Amino acid sequence: MVDNILAGLSTVWHWGPLLAILFGVFWGTLGGMIPGINATIAMALLLPFTWGMDPVVAIMMLAGVYCGGEYGGSIPAILIGTPGTNAAAATVYDGYELHKQGKTGLALYTSLTSSVFGGLFGTVALMLMAIPLAGVALAFGPIEYFCLAFLGITMVCSLGEKNVFKGILAGLLGILLSTVGFDPIAGVPRFTFGVLSLTEGFSMVPLMMGVYAITEMFKQAQGIMDGQSFNLKMKTDFGFPKWKELRRLLPTNLMGSILGVVIGVMPGAGATVASFISYSEAKRWSKEPDSFGKGNPKGVAAPESANNGATGGAMVPLLALGIPGSNSTAIMLGALMIHNIVPGPMLFMKTPEVPYSIFVSLFFANIFLFFAGLLFIKFAIKVTSISKPALIAVIIALVLTGVYAYSLEIFSMGVALSFGLLGIALHRFGIPHAAVVLGFVLGFILEANLRRGLLISNGSFFGAIFSSTLSSALIMIGIFAVIFSLYRGLKKTRDKTVNP
Amino acid sequence: MTKQFKAKRSKVSIAIALILVIFMLLVSGCSAKAPAPAPEAPAAAPAPEAPKFPTKDVEVVYHSSAGSGGDIFLRTMGKAVEPGMGKAWVVNNMPGASGANAWGYVAKATPDGHTLIGVSSTIITAPILNDMSITYKDFEPVAMLFNDPMVLFVPGDSPLKSIKDLVDAAKAAPGQLKWAGGTPGELGFVAGRELMKAADFDMTIVPFEGGGDAAVTVLGGHLDGGIGEYAEIASNVEAGKLRIIGSFNEMPLNPDIKTVADAGYPEVQVKKLRGVMAPKGTPEEVIDQLVGFLKKSLDDPAFKEYYESNNLIVNFQAKDDMQKVMDEQDKQIREAVGK
Repeated sequence: MVDNILAGLSTVWHWGPLLAILFGVFWGTLGGMIPGINATIAMALLLPFTWGMDPVVAIMMLAGVYCGGEYGGSIPAILIGTPGTNAAAATVYDGYELHKQGKTGLALYTSLTSSVFGGLFGTVALMLMAIPLAGVALAFGPIEYFCLAFLGITMVCSLGEKNVFKGILAGLLGILLSTVGFDPIAGVPRFTFGVLSLTEGFSMVPLMMGVYAITEMFKQAQGIMDGQSFNLKMKTDFGFPKWKELRRLLPTNLMGSILGVVIGVMPGAGATVASFISYSEAKRWSKEPDSFGKGNPKGVAAPESANNGATGGAMVPLLALGIPGSNSTAIMLGALMIHNIVPGPMLFMKTPEVPYSIFVSLFFANIFLFFAGLLFIKFAIKVTSISKPALIAVIIALVLTGVYAYSLEIFSMGVALSFGLLGIALHRFGIPHAAVVLGFVLGFILEANLRRGLLISNGSFFGAIFSSTLSSALIMIGIFAVIFSLYRGLKKTRDKTVNP
Repeated sequence: MTKQFKAKRSKVSIAIALILVIFMLLVSGCSAKAPAPAPEAPAAAPAPEAPKFPTKDVEVVYHSSAGSGGDIFLRTMGKAVEPGMGKAWVVNNMPGASGANAWGYVAKATPDGHTLIGVSSTIITAPILNDMSITYKDFEPVAMLFNDPMVLFVPGDSPLKSIKDLVDAAKAAPGQLKWAGGTPGELGFVAGRELMKAADFDMTIVPFEGGGDAAVTVLGGHLDGGIGEYAEIASNVEAGKLRIIGSFNEMPLNPDIKTVADAGYPEVQVKKLRGVMAPKGTPEEVIDQLVGFLKKSLDDPAFKEYYESNNLIVNFQAKDDMQKVMDEQDKQIREAVGK
């Protein structure tokens, strides 16, 4: 192993590869910052330029883009309430809140340090146990995915802060939205009303852009019409937070990174699922769960460490099993294939220097990411000095352009705008849109895998769910979580009716 | 630092940030049309008697996004076609609407051979499943170049060693074998159905949308086996983690793998295709020239290395022969989904 890491290091430790990684990190962070352009698209844009490159250098550059992209999304999430990538959506809740409270520096640098922490943790985990980690991917069959997603979805109960049932309602709405499009088992279109563009379902990017960015812009515009001032007059602290404050986040970062790596390994999940589950779990295990969503730095650290931890995890199925687990790693597979390198178990046996040089390059990418982040933050905070009406106009234009660039369909712009209106409606009725998004993110995993599991168990729910220790354990934790939060929710409602 | 200077500096940095963002968006906007690297000087002038073609770059539209497997395939093929054609082969991605965006665009394009459509079996499947008004019959076949070999695979420790074992086991316990396959209508599903029909047995096909997820599920021992593309599992087969018990296509590079015909079911014909079509009304002579360019690309050494290491089977069927393959597949899929 040490030999392999050294061999990898000797491949990376040259000007060419290092510069390629550095460029990749910058490119990825920039792409991540732009709403609609995520790590996958930033990679796809670079792909044509890698044709002439040494294959290993090309992959290193893409690895850099991957790290940068997963981080970059958090910057607009914090500064303008618009996640640059899907995986940064969970960062909006506390990051944007912190910014509105004037603690911008704390939010931005927490996100940066947590991302770097998660990324480095993922890389080290990858170097030490890529092959054993592949076992995690294999342990998850359809029904285990269902149980994991069920555990994740129980979180909707506590996302509806004041009313547990509003949270459940919102979660169900999200699941309903995820059923639009092609039925994953029966192979027929559902709820498409004959619109061909709906046959693939709502894609996550326009949906997220609508629910977060457009809704937020509408809200701001409304505020201005109601006489709010054009500029942020509040005192804003852009400075680097005290190390003491960051150190307090260490347990959250550690848990987020572990969740990120493990969920990242699963081909059926990915960084977005990882960041949402990490956020939910940080809230669930926190001593003061009610402070989440109101500017708790842990609410930034948890999703950000998870989505960068997932970059390391996602490499596992790609390299150890030869099967890409996410869109980003599918692009990497493509890049490897262009150069006739076939990843998989044989890669580790025949040419271990190839996977290990990728691991080492991820390590460097995360270190470069820290400096790239410092630089980008310096630029990005200028956004706050732009007058609000101009900013809103620019963001709407940018978001719609990004949505189009992502899907190359005008239809998606309509989808984003519609979800913006939906977001406003949800806001009006006090229905938590976080629960809708969580329902949407997990809905497809829930449905497809439950139905696959039922096919395997010949239609028996009991037989499916309790078919393995892992699935039984996950579902039991999930059921307890539901009962507990229902109880807490009912108690809260009752207390309120007794002492209004 | 004076206040003025500070303000100026902040304006400059805003400007730089904006330029960076605009640059990225521009690149992403244009990437769809970014040509593959320009060809070096044309190798040979077109034959004098044929009509002059191509007179400009050829746009090849594809229904999935940049960086996807099919997209990379078309771009790699482009590099092999360009020297013979003398003009650039420009891949244009038009994803969305299950393919209808790309197909609708090409169907309406001027039929002069400068706008083509890269196709896979999806152009037969998707219109059937989604009741589209556009189908493969709205295009002129140019040529099918490759088949993606479809195989039956089991975990390395499975007792099943051959198609006969599978048939026997399934007959002993009808419906109890759980086999990963594609969603209904997708070729992995159709292949399983055709085999069950021919060998008269019954197993449960558990649909997966991506071949990768299916392979991982089989690798993890959650299912008895799977049907999928060879390329997606090749590495795990080589490592002994998965075993191929039979193939739906003849695989010249892997002669040891027994086909369904070897097992006694030659009537099972499943050909997951990759090829090129043109808008209806494209002149015959232009199509003939295109067939020539495509045929020649197969000899390009770099392209050959690519398609061999990606386990694509060369199966060059031009014009009417391609049409025949597609008609046959159309019938199979319609039968499989009952439409």
